[in-house]
Amino acid sequence: MERSFPRDIGALASIFEFVREVFAAESVDAVNAFEVDLVIEELFTNMVKYSSESSNDIAIRIDRKNDRLIICLTDSDVDPFDPTRAREVDTDRPLRDRKPGGLGIHLVRRMTESFDYEYRDRTSIITLVKKLETEGA
Amino acid sequence: MLDLTVGEDGTVFLSGRLDASQVPKAKDGLARLDGPSILDFSGLEYISSAGIGVILITYKRLHDAGHPLRLVGMTDRIRNVFQYAGLDRVFTIE
Repeated sequence: MERSFPRDIGALASIFEFVREVFAAESVDAVNAFEVDLVIEELFTNMVKYSSESSNDIAIRIDRKNDRLIICLTDSDVDPFDPTRAREVDTDRPLRDRKPGGLGIHLVRRMTESFDYEYRDRTSIITLVKKLETEGA
Repeated sequence: MLDLTVGEDGTVFLSGRLDASQVPKAKDGLARLDGPSILDFSGLEYISSAGIGVILITYKRLHDAGHPLRLVGMTDRIRNVFQYAGLDRVFTIE
């Protein structure tokens, strides 16, 4: 399923509703909702913050392939911004020594099997693969 | 939606969802804390990095003033996020 959302943090509630629709249509166990919401929120809010030159909606596509979800965010008419190249957050450093930012991408890396970026025709495409859990597993 | 309520002993109860759209509300509510504080997460269903950022700002502000901040009642999902972020070693999580 695919849907487009306005480039606005206020669209998050609609995005989470869309995720629930996909879960119902694809029979995805609700235990996965937290992490799917989180990875999509982190990348969507990054696009809103860092690709503000575009006024186009951001498209989110979610497909189930067996025990995995393929999540794709497409942001058109933007300059390149590759979140997969963001520096790693050093979670072992004391708080006072840590640089701000980067935590969202760190969480995306932890919660997904793959995290890829492609840029073509002034369009950023992020593709995530998320392995699904089942209740009690 | 996020809700913040304050108990009789001053404990702040967070409930609902703390995503990026709820950050202004969380910031406003937590900015009022000015002494040793407890945040009760037992009603919180969801938190993202934006929400964790607000908790970190609150922690740093209170810590710099010499006040402890305790986080209690986290669900396993939310505790996992704090662990992934390496913050289970920073905060007192009970």
